[in-house]
Amino acid sequence: MEGSDTYLIRPNHQYKFKPAIVKECIREIVRERLSGMRYDPEEVPELSRSLADCIKDKVKNAGFDRYKLVVQVVIGEQRGQGVKMSSRCLWDADTDNYAEDVFINDSLFCVAAVFGSYYY
Amino acid sequence: MSSDKKITKEDTWKPAELRKHIREGGHVENNVRRRDDSERRQRGGESVERTRRDPEKETRREKDKLRERRDKEEIDKYADRRKEGSRDRRSERDRKEETRRDKVVDGKTYDEDKERHRDKEDRDKRREEREERKEKERRRHEEGGEGETERREKQDREKRDRHRERDKDEDKRNDRERRERKHVEVKEDGENRDEQRRRREERERRHKERGNHDEKRKHDSRSREHRDVKEVVEEVRGHGGDRERTERDKNKERKHREDEEPERNHRRDPTSSRKSDKASDKSHDAKTEDKAAVRDLRATAEPAAKDEDLADYEDDFEDYEEDFEELDESPDEEEEEEKEGSEVLEEKEELTAERRKEIEAIQRAMAEENQRVQSREISSTEEERPRWSRGSEKTPSVDSQRGKFIDFVAAKQREVSKKVASKQKKRSTELLRLIDLDFSTTASLLDLPPVNEYDMYIRTFGTANTKQAYVQCNEDNVDRDIQTEETEVCEKWTQHPPEHNGACGDPNLSREAQDKSEMSFDSRRLTAFLRSASQVMVVLLEEHRADRKSLEKMKSPTDSTSFSDGSLLLNTKLPFLYGRSVSLLHFSPAQKHTVMSVHRPTETPSAVRLDSCSIICIWNIWEPSSPQRVLIYESEVQCCCFSPGKAVLVFAGTSVGSVLLWDLRENTEDHYSLKIGEEEWTFRQPTFSTDAVMSGSGHFSSVTSVEVVPSSSSSDVPLLASEEESSGLSFQLASLDEVGVLNFWVVLELPKANEAGSPTDLGLRPGGKVKLLHSSVLLTAERESPRDAAKTGPLQTLNLKFLPTDSNHFFIGTNMGLVNHETSHGLKVPPRFYRFQEAGVQPVDVTSIHFSPFRKHLFLVGCGDGSIRLHAVSQQHPVSEWRNSTSGEPVISLQWNQTRPSVFCVLDGASNLHIWDLLRNDTQPVVTEKLHSDRVTAMSVFGDSGQQHTYSGVALAHESGKIEMQYFTRSLTVSSSEEEEKLESLVTEAF
Repeated sequence: MEGSDTYLIRPNHQYKFKPAIVKECIREIVRERLSGMRYDPEEVPELSRSLADCIKDKVKNAGFDRYKLVVQVVIGEQRGQGVKMSSRCLWDADTDNYAEDVFINDSLFCVAAVFGSYYY
Repeated sequence: MSSDKKITKEDTWKPAELRKHIREGGHVENNVRRRDDSERRQRGGESVERTRRDPEKETRREKDKLRERRDKEEIDKYADRRKEGSRDRRSERDRKEETRRDKVVDGKTYDEDKERHRDKEDRDKRREEREERKEKERRRHEEGGEGETERREKQDREKRDRHRERDKDEDKRNDRERRERKHVEVKEDGENRDEQRRRREERERRHKERGNHDEKRKHDSRSREHRDVKEVVEEVRGHGGDRERTERDKNKERKHREDEEPERNHRRDPTSSRKSDKASDKSHDAKTEDKAAVRDLRATAEPAAKDEDLADYEDDFEDYEEDFEELDESPDEEEEEEKEGSEVLEEKEELTAERRKEIEAIQRAMAEENQRVQSREISSTEEERPRWSRGSEKTPSVDSQRGKFIDFVAAKQREVSKKVASKQKKRSTELLRLIDLDFSTTASLLDLPPVNEYDMYIRTFGTANTKQAYVQCNEDNVDRDIQTEETEVCEKWTQHPPEHNGACGDPNLSREAQDKSEMSFDSRRLTAFLRSASQVMVVLLEEHRADRKSLEKMKSPTDSTSFSDGSLLLNTKLPFLYGRSVSLLHFSPAQKHTVMSVHRPTETPSAVRLDSCSIICIWNIWEPSSPQRVLIYESEVQCCCFSPGKAVLVFAGTSVGSVLLWDLRENTEDHYSLKIGEEEWTFRQPTFSTDAVMSGSGHFSSVTSVEVVPSSSSSDVPLLASEEESSGLSFQLASLDEVGVLNFWVVLELPKANEAGSPTDLGLRPGGKVKLLHSSVLLTAERESPRDAAKTGPLQTLNLKFLPTDSNHFFIGTNMGLVNHETSHGLKVPPRFYRFQEAGVQPVDVTSIHFSPFRKHLFLVGCGDGSIRLHAVSQQHPVSEWRNSTSGEPVISLQWNQTRPSVFCVLDGASNLHIWDLLRNDTQPVVTEKLHSDRVTAMSVFGDSGQQHTYSGVALAHESGKIEMQYFTRSLTVSSSEEEEKLESLVTEAF
């Protein structure tokens, strides 16, 4: 068994997770969905969930084969407070990557991060 | 095994019955649950037994160790322990149970009691009961961790009653015995005995499997499975290990020996099973109370109710037993746990590897069984539900039944997930060798700095598209980040009084102005041209108007005065001249049409606040409607004179001892202007004043006379004037005060005016260009003889005249009636004094001295007693002397005519104007005009013997302030050649 197993431990370049493309995806969706939005605590949970789904679908279609995607969307009210968000991942830096985009308007800020983890 | 039986039973159930049972079972279940809840509340936690045990542990720790040594005498000690247990558990148990427990103090009574019950019951019932018990046991096997307690209780009990029970239930209690044995093994040291028991147990099992006479449908398969147990040891080991672990739950110590795969599913199992176990336990407890109700329900529900009633009854007793046994046993358990947990040496002795292996094997087998059952259940989901309900019906402890079902599903899942997990694990172990995972990079997803208060304020309240700017004046406050730009510094000056716009400014500006003026040289020329041209135009216009308007008016005064050929009034009806009398009139020697009038300060208050000031008006006689310049000074002006040449400077001496200088060329905008009525007047302060400036060298008493020192080089004054005009001012001024101090000043024109004022010449007005430099001082109060002083009092010097041809000689009129002749430098020249005809001195003021413009060595002296003398410079005594010409009135003013050498005019104190013509009459005046209607306070003769148009006249200042210009008739204006000869003859006649 063990001898016979072969693993594709590096994706082809064309299938590799490309942050620039993903970032563009995120940006597109977030701009489209959030421009002119006011922060409403009632609808933000649903909004963030649907945003995350939307982004996930879009990135899936971008053709990153064998990638597991984790989409994190954080929407917060913008009231002049300081916010600091950072992430740390235990992953294979050769294959795995992430893309994030921040959208800020008068009323809210939105951070959307997509983590792509290669499934060997 | 028992479950098999159950399944068969369930199969026989009918749907209707099942439904009913489900309903009832639910009811019972509810009851039980309620009890559970209450009990749980009572115990205050989920881990009931553990909490119960914890205090016991501490209390019994000592005794436990003792007891281990005396294993054989267990029974006696059990009683003690039971007491302790009962004490501890009193709060947790029902009252009824407590009473029973009290009754059953030791094992023997308990046994008897049980025996009695047994006897009573009939065989069938007992069988039912046994089945029930078996099932319970099996359930307990399935139940993890803390179900063990109950199990152990039973084991313990069985140990005691083994001899009896084994005979009866040998074949049906395999499992229990198995566990029992394990327990016993733990308790007892003898290895041989353990082995024996093991063998026996094996035998029993076999026997049971074979001899199961019950109508169990799946007996065969089950037995087969049993046989399989040994074949799949490897697989089961994991299960068994898990099982053991869950049983010991928190005995970490043992973990290392157990399987290496901790699975969450397994862990979940014990909790659920524990719950169910508890429930069952409680339900047993509850049974005593609820038995009746349950029985009723059953009676209605089932035809086979009776049997089950009995079974329940039996079961109840069993439960009681169990309870007691639990009491007995729990200490042992704890002992065990304690031993295991605290890693004591004793424990190690007991739990030898061999024994442990055996135990594990047994447990593995049990787990295997359970799994088989579970898998079967899942496969036959159809049967599941009926069986379930049946079970709930059959046994009051529904919770336990349900728990059983969940266990199976979970176990299945567990198995599946375990398989997957192991696969994954393998995969991961292989992959991880190939891959390096790193944890190094930290990605900052969002860093939104806090907005400061001001920005927040602007964002919320500020207007869009506007920007706020900071302004701060407090430049010391350098800490703030809103400091304004660097302060620009430039020099500015100012000077008080701010009478003209030149009173403030800055050096840079004036420099710029300078540049500008240089650049706009043409415009400057233009203004100069315009100034002069405009003056001409104004004069022309004035003349034109005067000609037209006052031809008639001029006629009438001509009639009234014999000497006059017409008159002209200067317009003194100005607001600032109202109520002022004229003290002096003075014509410019060069510009003969320019006259100045000195107006005294007035006592009557007027609208204009210049009352305390002397005002000097400069007039052009051709332009009588308004004065050309208006000069003011704060104190009374005693004397004045024009500059030689063009009348651009005016000098004055004041009663406070100052010498003043006005530069008439200064711009009007540099001076204080006052709007009075419609017109705006500019009042000029002196350009230079010696007031308090030259304290060492100035005058300390009232200045009586100021005179320009005539230039010695040239006798032609107009020519000189023109030269001066071109080359700049340069001449000397002399001022005489009444105590005889004669000061000489150099009049100096600065090349450039300083708007800021001179820092050294404090007397110079800012912007002024002409100043006086003190050159020398002479004390001129020289008496003829010292003894006169006592007789006549202090000498006063009243007048000063310079010899027009030689500025070295000057003549000073005194209050002794004498005129002193002195020189400013060099030897004294005779005559020293000019005196009266008769010898001696009289205390008479010399009021006026005037040199003849034609014969410059002749001068007239007018005295306070009314006498008039004509002197020649060379002679001490007068050429001629006229007394009583004014009938004793003091001579106020005396002047030669400017156009006729032999004519002079005298004004006396009674306001009489006498005109002498020496040619016609050298003993008395030819004309005496009495001007009493409006007293004349000052007189000045004017005239010009120019080419085009010779005129002469006298200016008369009246007390009312009116200034009248009387033109002499032609007879008094036009000179003849005889006149100078006449004067010559007079001089020669006299000597």
